[in-house]
Amino acid sequence: MNTMLEIKELCVDFNDKNILRGVNLTIQAGEVHAIMGPNGSGKSTLVNLLAGRAGYQVTAGQVLFQGEDLLPMQPEERAKAGIFLGFQYPVEIPGISNALFMKTALNAQRRHQHLAEMEAMDFRSHTRKMAKSLGLEDGLLLRPVNVGFSGGEKKRNELFQMMILQPCLAILDEIDSGLDIDALVTVASGINALRTPQRSILMVTHYQRLLNDVVPDRVHVMMDGRIVLTGSKDLAMELEEKGYGWLAGAGQ
Amino acid sequence: MNTEPNPYETEWIARQNSLPGEAIPWMRRLRQEAMERYRASGFPTTRLEDWKYTSLKPILQKGFHFPEPSCIGLDPSDLDALLIDRRDMPRLVFVNGTLSRPLSNWQQLPQGVEIASLATRLAEYPEQVEPCLRARPTTPDHGFAELNRALWRDGAFVCFRQETRMPIPVQLLFLSLPSSVPVITQPHTVILVEAGAEGQIIESYATLGDCDHFTNGLTTIFLQHGARLNHLLVQNESHAAYHLATMRVQQESASRFVSQAFSFGGRLTRQDIHLQLGGEEAECDLDGLFVATGRQHTDFHTWIRHDASHTTSRQHYKGILDGHGRGVFNGAVLVPQSVRETQSAQVNNNLLLTNTAEIDTKPQLEIFSNAVQCTHGATVGNLDPVALFYLRSRGVDQEEARRLLIKAFAGEILDRIQPQSVRAWLENRLAF
Repeated sequence: MNTMLEIKELCVDFNDKNILRGVNLTIQAGEVHAIMGPNGSGKSTLVNLLAGRAGYQVTAGQVLFQGEDLLPMQPEERAKAGIFLGFQYPVEIPGISNALFMKTALNAQRRHQHLAEMEAMDFRSHTRKMAKSLGLEDGLLLRPVNVGFSGGEKKRNELFQMMILQPCLAILDEIDSGLDIDALVTVASGINALRTPQRSILMVTHYQRLLNDVVPDRVHVMMDGRIVLTGSKDLAMELEEKGYGWLAGAGQ
Repeated sequence: MNTEPNPYETEWIARQNSLPGEAIPWMRRLRQEAMERYRASGFPTTRLEDWKYTSLKPILQKGFHFPEPSCIGLDPSDLDALLIDRRDMPRLVFVNGTLSRPLSNWQQLPQGVEIASLATRLAEYPEQVEPCLRARPTTPDHGFAELNRALWRDGAFVCFRQETRMPIPVQLLFLSLPSSVPVITQPHTVILVEAGAEGQIIESYATLGDCDHFTNGLTTIFLQHGARLNHLLVQNESHAAYHLATMRVQQESASRFVSQAFSFGGRLTRQDIHLQLGGEEAECDLDGLFVATGRQHTDFHTWIRHDASHTTSRQHYKGILDGHGRGVFNGAVLVPQSVRETQSAQVNNNLLLTNTAEIDTKPQLEIFSNAVQCTHGATVGNLDPVALFYLRSRGVDQEEARRLLIKAFAGEILDRIQPQSVRAWLENRLAF
C-alpha cells in the first residue's frame, strides 16, 4: 500500500497563537478519513495549511505528500501534484465564469502533465455530464464563480471542480455544512463516485450524518490542536451520542 | 507680470493665415477669440484645484513642433491591429493630424450619414459646420482646448442626418508616427446627431512605434432632440506620448448618449468629458476604464451639468494602477436650483496592484436643487487575497490568477461593449 499523506508532529502558529500542537496523521492511498472535533480545535487550520494558504507558520514537524516534502510547495504546485481543497466557504469571484475558471485550472494541470490543452467546446462536452450528475444546471457554468449561488450550489460546485481535476488527495472542509438533506445525499453520492483505490479523501465534518453515506476507513478526533483519538466509523456514532466532553484531557 | 510669450505663440503668428477657414471671416474671428482666451489662461498649473495632481510642466518643457504635412508611406497592414474590421467599416484615418485618403474609407455610406475631414467640410459647406464650431461651451475651456480651437488643422466631421439609423460604427483613427522632432497634433472633431438619428462612433488614438508626441484633441458632440449616439473612445498611444483631450457633449431633449472611454496609453494623459443635459428627458450613460502602469499618469475628469428637469446621468469608471502608475479621477455633477426630478449616479472603483501605485479619486457634487436623486461611491482596493488563493488552489499559477482577477475587474466595463467584434478587438488591445 502506498502512503498518500504523512503528517509528523506538526506544530503550526497562526497570528502568533499555537493552533496545531503536534499533529500525527497518516493516510494510505484509497483511504477515506474523517476528522471531527469541536470548534476551534484546529481542523480548518490543518486543511488550509495542507492546501498552502498563506499566513500559517510551521514551527515544528513535517508533512510528506507521496513521500515528498509538501511544505515548500506553492499552492498551485500542490494542486498540480494532485491535492484538492474543497472550501468550507467557497469564494465568490465576480467577472470570471465558472467555465473559464475550471478550463484554466484544467489546462494548467494538463500542461503540467504534458497533455494538449482543452478547447472551450471540448471542455463543455467533457464537463456536461459531471455537472448533471451533481444536479448543477448548465447555466451555472456560465455564471461568475459562486456569485449568487445558493449554499448547496456552492458546495456542489466544489465537488464539480474536484470531478474535473481528479485529484489524488481530496480534502473536503465541511462540505456538508449548510446543506439540506437532499443536497447532502447528492453531495455524498458525488463523493462516493470519486472513491477509487488510488484516491484518498480527508473530510472535516461536524456531523455524523455525512459519514453514514460516505463511510470512512478512519475517524479522528481533533482537540486543542492534536488528534486525541482515532477509531473506526463507529467512533463517529459515539461522538454523536456523547459529544466531546468525555475526551477532555485525552492525548495530553 | 509674466512677459514670457505663451508656448505656440510663434506658431500662431506663422500659421494663422494658412489655417483652414482663413478666408472665412467668422472662422478667422473664432480662431482669434480662442487665441485670446488661450493667452489669458495659458496652460493650467497645479495651483488650480482641478490640476492639483496633474502637472503639465513636462509638456511645456519638452517643446513640441507642428508636423509638416507629410506623405509618409504607410502600409495598410500597419493598421491591422488598430482597426476593427478593415473591409466594410467606414473610417477616417488621420496620420500626424492629416487625413490619409488611401487609408480611409467612406464609400457606400448609407443615405443620411456624412463623414469627412473637418477642414474639407468647412471649405465646401461652411454653413453646415458653422453652428457647431460657433457653439460656446457652458463652462470655460482649459487653455489647451482654446489652443486647439485657435490652431486646429483638421479632424473628423461626422453627421447623422434626421431620423438616420446607422447600423455599424464609424471609426475615427488618429495615428501618430515617429518623426525627426517630437510633434504636436491638434485634432478637432465634430459629431452631429440630428433629431431622431442614431449612430455609433469609435474614436481612437494610437502611435506607431514608441515615439513621444503630444496630442491635444478636442471633440464636440451635439445630440438633437431624440438623437442617440454610442461613442467609444480608445486612447492607446505610446507610453512616451502626452495626451490631453477634451470632449464636449451637448444634449437636447430626449436624447441618449452612451460613452465608453478607455485610456491605456500615454506617459501623461488627461481626459476631460464635459456633458450638458440641456433638454428634458435627456440621459447619458458613461463608463470607462483607465490603466496606468510603469510611470504612466492618467487623469480623468468628468463634468455633468443637469440643466433641465427629468434628466438622468449614470457614470461608472474603473481604474487599474500598477507599478508606479498614478491615477486621478474627479467626477463633477452640477444641478442648478431650478431643475427638478433628476437622477444621477456615479461610481469609481480602483484596483491598486502595487504599493507604489497611487490613485486620487474625488466625487464633486454641486447640487443646488432639493428635488433630485444623486448617489456616488468610490472604492480603492487590492486584489482579493482569498480569491487569489482560491484560484491557485486549483492549480492556476499566481501570475495567471492575477491576470484573471484583473480581467474580471475590467470585465464589468468591457462586457458592456457591443457588438462582440468590437469588444474582442479591445480585449486584444489590453495587455493583461
